[in-house]
Amino acid sequence: MQKMKPLPALGGFAVVCLLIAAPFGLPVFAMTLLTELIILGLFAMSLDLMVGYANLVSFGHAAAYGLGAYASGYLLLNSSMPLPVVVLLAALLTGIVAIGVGWVCTLATGVSFSMLTLAFAQLLYAIAFKWTSVTGGSDGLAGIPRRAGPFAMTIFTSKTGFYYFALACLIGAYFICRALVRSPFGLVLRGIRENEAKTLVLGYNTRLYKVTVIAIAYALGGLAGALYAPFAGFANTELLFWLLSGQVLIMVIVGGQGTLIGPILGAAFFMLLEHQLSSYTEAWALFFGLIFIAFVLFAPEGIWGLARRAFARGRAPAETRHD
Amino acid sequence: MSTLAFLLTQGVNALSQAALLFFLGVGLTLIFGIMRIVNFAHGTLYMLGAFIGYSLLRYTGSYWLALALAPLTVGAIGTAFELGILRRLYRRDAHAFLMVTFGLALVTGEAVRLLWGSDALQVPPPALLSGVVFLLDEPFPVYRLFLVSFGIVVAVVIWQLLERTRLGLLIRATSQNAEMVHALGVDVKLVRSGVFGIGCGLAALGGVLAAPLVTASHGMAATAVIDAFVIVIIGGMGSFLGSLIGALLVAFVQVFGNYYLPDFALAFMYLVMLLVLVVRPGGLLGKEA
Amino acid sequence: MTEALLQVDGLTKHYGALVAVDNVSMHVQKGEVRAVIGPNGAGKTTLFHLITGVVPPTSGTVRFGDNEITRLAPHAICQRGLSRTFQLTSLFPRMSARENAMLAAQARHPRRWTPFGGTDVFTSARATGENALEQLGLSHVADRPAGLLSHGDQRLLEVAMAMAQHPRLLLLDEPTQGLSVEETAQAVETLAQFLDKARITVLLVEHDMEVVFRLAHRITVLHRGAVIADDVPAAVKANARVQEAYLGGIE
Repeated sequence: MQKMKPLPALGGFAVVCLLIAAPFGLPVFAMTLLTELIILGLFAMSLDLMVGYANLVSFGHAAAYGLGAYASGYLLLNSSMPLPVVVLLAALLTGIVAIGVGWVCTLATGVSFSMLTLAFAQLLYAIAFKWTSVTGGSDGLAGIPRRAGPFAMTIFTSKTGFYYFALACLIGAYFICRALVRSPFGLVLRGIRENEAKTLVLGYNTRLYKVTVIAIAYALGGLAGALYAPFAGFANTELLFWLLSGQVLIMVIVGGQGTLIGPILGAAFFMLLEHQLSSYTEAWALFFGLIFIAFVLFAPEGIWGLARRAFARGRAPAETRHD
Repeated sequence: MSTLAFLLTQGVNALSQAALLFFLGVGLTLIFGIMRIVNFAHGTLYMLGAFIGYSLLRYTGSYWLALALAPLTVGAIGTAFELGILRRLYRRDAHAFLMVTFGLALVTGEAVRLLWGSDALQVPPPALLSGVVFLLDEPFPVYRLFLVSFGIVVAVVIWQLLERTRLGLLIRATSQNAEMVHALGVDVKLVRSGVFGIGCGLAALGGVLAAPLVTASHGMAATAVIDAFVIVIIGGMGSFLGSLIGALLVAFVQVFGNYYLPDFALAFMYLVMLLVLVVRPGGLLGKEA
Repeated sequence: MTEALLQVDGLTKHYGALVAVDNVSMHVQKGEVRAVIGPNGAGKTTLFHLITGVVPPTSGTVRFGDNEITRLAPHAICQRGLSRTFQLTSLFPRMSARENAMLAAQARHPRRWTPFGGTDVFTSARATGENALEQLGLSHVADRPAGLLSHGDQRLLEVAMAMAQHPRLLLLDEPTQGLSVEETAQAVETLAQFLDKARITVLLVEHDMEVVFRLAHRITVLHRGAVIADDVPAAVKANARVQEAYLGGIE
């Protein structure tokens, strides 16, 4: 694995330290928001793996989120497994289902692929509505407990303990993604992104690579969903709805695709708008849509991309592309 | 109920459903044929048509006026969107179009929620078209029969437009070779804007027509855009005849599937789409997507 | 006599009523540079597509070494040691020339799919890639994004990428396509020297006769999908049928 460059690594370390110290300084409501941001950031980052690194634009990523949430919610309500085990198991389950989804969706490419992912998410949405015995139908699953960890580690039942668990998941997922995109596998993804036909001709079974990255992306999205269920205490069909798929895609684009960090910023931006603007106007989602259109038109590299460009201009032109 | 009556009843259901789906699909395929972009906002514009139709009906009292004006309004909105925003993206990749039209879908969806509230709204059909007609001792809703006939009429009109008129020739030529058409002195940009507007208008027409049957609601948009896309995938992107066949296929699968296996009807439709994709990736009659 | 490296027998492709490739047979020996020429529409590129698995044949077989490869998938055929370039330049434009070559080299590494670490994979691919660049005289532009290279260098980069895969058979589809007269002369010289040293088996499609006579050991002439001549360059030049086929315009 390549070494991290000094300045960004230091900055990252500082941010992580701040995040670790957060519970000691921030009030409770801010901690709740921060936890939600961690979960949403993980969700957005997982989509970036597909969109930003393999050019697989999914309009159905809510399927991963919802699947993870329902799986962890169901297991927490109907079994006595400790929380961390449930969450990781739910993520694994989502990844396995995603292999099938990915295999089918990669029958097509480009726009057809995107619409197939949407179709699958809608299918899952419809199933969740009908399969009342498992999913609670339109009411969803409620009263999901934040169970204790293994060996009766009650730390996870507290808000702070859960926050640290979510943070650990995000950081762990980040390093997994980062290692992945810098590996030989990641180089092939880059080839697929830039010129899939050529990558195929070079002898790579591009479909296998695509299905693999889809499975990993869905697994991590499922991880986020699996964290959401005990965080919010419920899981319902809203988590599978295409609106959420669209919102997370917006987070990735506005934040900056292909950067892993950008989408997390996009999630923060989204939450900021949601919580701030909604107090001023009922039409905040409309503004969000307009901002999204503006970004696609004028700043396709997103917030993080803009920041990096501004930063690079202020220094010697040493490092322009990495990641 | 005798078998014939049953088949007839379900057949009319399916055909009227096919008519609605056809309006959705033909607009999308026209837009794709000319511009090679998939209009993600298609479902939302369908919904917008329904809501505008509702308001026009309320304020003018005339269903027919609503039927005429709603598509024109939405078509104008679509053209304005193409002129203002989509034009900037022609040099970019297909995903940019998908995302921007998705943004349009979001903005329009929210605008609808703000202007008309979150509840579903009833849109009563005109007296002329309400009630039932009896054939073979079975009741057939007049409105559904109207939908079938109207669908046939519009399909024929569009077909003749494409085959016999100068505009139709321009549209077909542009979808095959835009540069050539441009070299011949035609303002291709105008053709594109026009077709986009027409496509949006057709979607809205579908919405207005659907409203008396399904009520104007917010859930319309998501199912509509997927339905439209399934039809166009099955029939082939850019093929007028394909959208007709796709609409018929999907409608019959949905209606009969719903009757025999209600829980699996949705899955059936996706299954058909997947099957078609596996066997003929370009759709039954399509060009390359 | 040793068995030919590439054996094409009775290869045919029908597109409805159109016969694109008509019962083509040819045997290419190891170390040979075989050119396939013919007027426009003769079926040369289709022949390439048939051999490399991009298009399935209507009938006929392709043998490579000891195995039949007729209906294998393109990436599987590539893994067996056939690498090809295309008429239309196809590269990874935002990646550097070196990275292009690396990705090509990596494709033949047994652990090309390694999801973590993989430093050894990178090191080996990098070495192979840089070697290939050097063979084609591209070392001086190794760091430049491929999309910014001159057209001539781009065509050579494609050949370098194919070479980075250590192929047993190299298929070059019109390597001088789109190049100006000077660029063509330069590219051909580089290719000639490279082929001399590498002693690799090559199947070459070309329009430009000068290029063909400079590089090829043997020439197969196609006309309307069928083979009308298969001989050494001097004999082909003198062949009456070939002259007749080309009457109406060659370069």
